[in-house]
Amino acid sequence: MAADDWFDVRGAVAWVTEQTMDKTIGMTRFWEQKYWLSEFSAEFAMAGIIFVVTMLAVLGPVWMERKLIARLMDHRGSTIAIRSLWTGEGNIRVEWWKDLPFGIGVPIGWINGFLWNNFGNESSNPKVTQVGNRSYAGWWWALPGMINNFADFTKFAIKEHMPPRDADQVTYEVAPFIIISTTLLVFAFIPYGPSLYAANPDLSLVYMMAIFGIAPLGVFFAGWASNNKYTLIGGMRSAAQLTAYEIPLLVTVLGIAVLSGTLNIIEIAEFQMNNTLGSVWNIFLMPLGAALFLITMIAEVERTPFDMPEAEAELVEGWWTEYGGMRWGLLFASEYLRALAACLLFSLFFLGGWEFPFEDSLIALPLVGGIFGALFQVVPHSAWLLMKAWLVFGFFIWVRASLHRVRTDQILEFGWRYLLPLSVIQLGLSIWLRLGVYDGGPWPLVVPALITVVAVVLFVVLVLDEDEEALAEQRRPYHVSEINKASPGARINLED
Amino acid sequence: MAEMWISMGPQHPMTHGLWTLKVKIDGETIVDTIPDLGYIHRGVEKICESRDFTQITPYCDRLCYASANTWSHSYIYAAENLLEVEVPERAEYIRLIAVEIQRIASHLMWLGAYCPDIGNLTAFVYCLREREMMLDLLQELGGSRMHYNFPRIGGVKRDLPHGFAMRCRAKVKLFLQRIHEYEALLDESTIFLIRTQGVGYAKPEEMVNHGVTGPNLRAGGVNYDVRWAHPYSVYDELDWTPSVERSSVKGADCYDRYRVRLDEMKTSAELILQALDGIPGGAETFHESGDPALIAKAPARASDGQTGFHHFEDPRGESMFYLAGGGDERGKNPYRVSIRSPMFITIPYAAKCMIGYKIADVPAIMGSFDPCIGETDR
Repeated sequence: MAADDWFDVRGAVAWVTEQTMDKTIGMTRFWEQKYWLSEFSAEFAMAGIIFVVTMLAVLGPVWMERKLIARLMDHRGSTIAIRSLWTGEGNIRVEWWKDLPFGIGVPIGWINGFLWNNFGNESSNPKVTQVGNRSYAGWWWALPGMINNFADFTKFAIKEHMPPRDADQVTYEVAPFIIISTTLLVFAFIPYGPSLYAANPDLSLVYMMAIFGIAPLGVFFAGWASNNKYTLIGGMRSAAQLTAYEIPLLVTVLGIAVLSGTLNIIEIAEFQMNNTLGSVWNIFLMPLGAALFLITMIAEVERTPFDMPEAEAELVEGWWTEYGGMRWGLLFASEYLRALAACLLFSLFFLGGWEFPFEDSLIALPLVGGIFGALFQVVPHSAWLLMKAWLVFGFFIWVRASLHRVRTDQILEFGWRYLLPLSVIQLGLSIWLRLGVYDGGPWPLVVPALITVVAVVLFVVLVLDEDEEALAEQRRPYHVSEINKASPGARINLED
Repeated sequence: MAEMWISMGPQHPMTHGLWTLKVKIDGETIVDTIPDLGYIHRGVEKICESRDFTQITPYCDRLCYASANTWSHSYIYAAENLLEVEVPERAEYIRLIAVEIQRIASHLMWLGAYCPDIGNLTAFVYCLREREMMLDLLQELGGSRMHYNFPRIGGVKRDLPHGFAMRCRAKVKLFLQRIHEYEALLDESTIFLIRTQGVGYAKPEEMVNHGVTGPNLRAGGVNYDVRWAHPYSVYDELDWTPSVERSSVKGADCYDRYRVRLDEMKTSAELILQALDGIPGGAETFHESGDPALIAKAPARASDGQTGFHHFEDPRGESMFYLAGGGDERGKNPYRVSIRSPMFITIPYAAKCMIGYKIADVPAIMGSFDPCIGETDR
């Protein structure tokens, strides 16, 4: 069972508060109030812990965004391999393990030498491809580049606050608070592990989706109140896009709730792992739902290719053009917090929450099962969840590095015309799976296997479904819906 | 929804320079546009009237920051026409190599700037990686990375350096392989296709009427390349065809303009390889500067009444220089220098092309015409 490990944060906090309250009996007039006081302080402490954990966890995406996108863009460069973070590559190779005492670094040297010799980047043209890993200092354990985030934060914090002269002052000041506070509230019900959550009401899923939908209002306020044409268009686009993608997102989430039979996030996660053998992650049961959830979530957190509201090419910086200093910094941080929340939710809903892949089967293995059992005893399960979330964020970065920005009308068309019907189909499939196939016990292995194979085949067919001849002949392989040109002379004059 | 004017520029990510595009929008649809140019007018033509013919060359380098070499060559051909100089053939070949390398670098700069316009920064880094190779080659020729001051009246500054042919062949062949990476990143991306196809139609007959030239015109199916139609250097001795895109009835869209530039980069790369093979005397031999094989003696003065003219295929279109001799009493300076900038003519037409599309198409359409404000404002 993945639900219990030694990393029982809630239990520890409850124990500490209980002890504290016990010690104060007789010293306070409110000793009768011991029970709610201890509960209150336990919850309060948990909220603080979750806040700190969230703030630390969001450093991962911010750092990854810098390092991973640099490696994706530096194709054929010297920093393409992730190991360039800790050993350097290209013409700068730092053999720091030679400085370790007693020769304990020799095996590390073997591994890195093997990687360099067999998977090093080809430098057929040294002057071109080997730029050198300029930022590398040799301290791999300090996560090169991480301290830059704190420098940026300091820079934002000491900047002057300059609202535009003609802005609607009250709304202008309130809008960032709406966005940032609702973003933080998202993390109230997101569990980081079996015992690491701030609160766990029965309807946490409903709350989650409701609180996710408030930020667009703040975005719209910000765009309107800045009294700038660019921010106005950005705010309008944001409102249009988020309403168009909120609905498929909600229908998809409804499908998850139907399949899992609950509206509680922790129970959804446990639904994927509470059977000792034969527990199945939701991604194998509803791959279409996973794709829909991922796409709509990328649109919800306004990342490329759906970063229309802040399209820097035509709208300078969209709705946050007029914000500067700490407000901009916090808005930017809330952007990453929302992305982190999206990744955590994807991991919880589809990737089995805090369960290691094939955890129970690995423990049940004949020879090495004991080793795995010890591993899962030692490493807290929250670590697996965080790693999954960061991997999903890595996928976000990959998408950002390889795709262009979609136009507003194309985004809306895609949302209403494709995502909404597909999410309704997914809801129907979920209902059928729950009512027709699920019988309360473990899933028969044929069901997820069949669904996954069908999904993979469909994906491959859709990817290969290109008109190769049209590509060669006319270079117009895709049908493009064309816009009718506006003709200013023929427009209806509203003033008449 | 009410209509409103948006002023894009002079400081705006879309502009690729310093100019203003005033856009009248109705919701997200563009109803009207007014381009506003002239922010960096330096008076190059007037400056040239007080410089002698040799001193003008570096000023012409500074006409365009993305493609300096073609502009100085453009001037040099006009000056040679004015001063009636016969250029050695080896110098012509060297000039051709320099200009074609510059053309590739300029188109790579365009592609690198165009992809962030529609939201992808990766292609920018890829393009600048290859542009770096081209700039290294130009640095070997001219000694500088941006403003080369390479050609001289009557020839070139110096010969191909030792080992240049080998390095140039290697880099150009590497570039011809790497160009497939762009096609994999852009042509096979549905989002790139739906952002560029069917957007920003420019009709060929309208382009001819407005005087749009260069890749923008060839994207519309008009086979007009100065190098091909009026061969000026040794272009007629090499085996090549200009890249012309077969566009649809509606005209050339952004995708056509992208394709034609990508093809032109391949053509230029092949021209370089051919020129390295066919250069008289061989690419490996080296002459000292001032050798008659590199530079012919040219008179320093042109009297009143003499005129020189040349039109030249710039990466952005047809650039023309008109020089009238007899500027000061001894005829050392030109009396008048007139520069025809292709982008000065293309930008107003490109602004017209946007009407009817969305705001998000402004960078997509404007960027596809490859504006360079240095030459536009002169």
